[in-house]
Amino acid sequence: MNTRIQMLCTWCGPAFVAMFTVGFWWLAHYLPPPSPNASAADIAALYQQNTGQIRFGMLLMMACSALVAPFVAVISVQMKRMEGSAGVLTYTQLSAGTVGILFLILPALLWTVAAFRPERDPNLILLLNDLGWIFFLMPFGTFVVQNLAIGIAILASSGPQVLPRWAGYFNLWVAVLFIPGGLLTFFKTGPFAWDGLFVFWVPLVVFFLWYGAMFVLLRQTIARTTPASAAA
Amino acid sequence: MWVFIVGDLLMFALFFGAFVYYRAQDPALYIESQATLNQGFGAINTVLLLTSSWFVVGAVQDTRGQRAGQACTRIILALLCGAGFIAVKFFEYREKISAGITLTSNDFYMYYYMLTGIHLLHVVIGMGVLIFLWRLARQSALHHSTASHESVISHFESGASFWHLVDMLWIFLFALLYLMK
Repeated sequence: MNTRIQMLCTWCGPAFVAMFTVGFWWLAHYLPPPSPNASAADIAALYQQNTGQIRFGMLLMMACSALVAPFVAVISVQMKRMEGSAGVLTYTQLSAGTVGILFLILPALLWTVAAFRPERDPNLILLLNDLGWIFFLMPFGTFVVQNLAIGIAILASSGPQVLPRWAGYFNLWVAVLFIPGGLLTFFKTGPFAWDGLFVFWVPLVVFFLWYGAMFVLLRQTIARTTPASAAA
Repeated sequence: MWVFIVGDLLMFALFFGAFVYYRAQDPALYIESQATLNQGFGAINTVLLLTSSWFVVGAVQDTRGQRAGQACTRIILALLCGAGFIAVKFFEYREKISAGITLTSNDFYMYYYMLTGIHLLHVVIGMGVLIFLWRLARQSALHHSTASHESVISHFESGASFWHLVDMLWIFLFALLYLMK
């Protein structure tokens, strides 16, 4: 029973990614991101021309973000096996991963507000747009800590290998690649702006890779779980 | 560890690629800004890291030959070189910042601070890895280790590989930022 529900929870990962992508890209057209250098008039025009689609897209993004919670939980359950019992790294991953959900819901919410009254003063729309993007891409701390916790737990685990060692190094790599996101505060153009290579595109690719890899690895290890090891 | 190393190389390749691409759009600015870089500091740093890598190579050989005590000493020397690198960087940054040159001064300096800054972060992490290797060697030397000799060597080689990555990245960085015209 436990394994079946865990398997179900692993599906929440790809489900979230798929729905978020539909909302973000196909509906709201947020890919590629609007330039931080764009004028208030341009940004206001975006919200005025795509109002309905943005509203729909944001609703979807907001709703599916909650699916990250069961995915984080499955990772926690497996980390508990690595640590022997619910240890410090398990709790770290759980809390950091959970807080990270906020940075998916809040931007969608802010962009929703922007699209709620698109006839507002363009400077206000610009402000809400800025808030959304900065909320979305700048807080890298929780994601770094979450991935570090997973990486360290995997590499430091001494018992039977729950997740393969390469996944530990992979999580460390993912953690490092989220860090440049913090630099968007200094730039309106170039690779370190919120529409730039290192702040948007690299984390985006890494994000997808991480969900994909963790989904496959989690399912593999859950399938290998015997009742005896699940009771640990 | 190779997963991390390859991944890291990919990331730095992206960084270097972006630098070269944007440089091609305004070579004059980049060359002019490059002239303000302190090549002396850069050269000292290169020597420091190369020396530290040499010590690490020796330490790995010591570990394989079960001379854990010597490995400890070599790691300490490598750590001192790393500390020297960080100190030089401190002086270099201070020199730049007091001249009013910061992250947002222009595109070249953005890359300069970003690339050397992220590399510096790797050096600091590498120092942590070296400390871990030192403890590993020390436990081995005092015969307190329960780990098999093979696993000690394996861990040692992983850690050493990371440090060599840090060194190699600096060589590229130095050539690209400080020297390439």
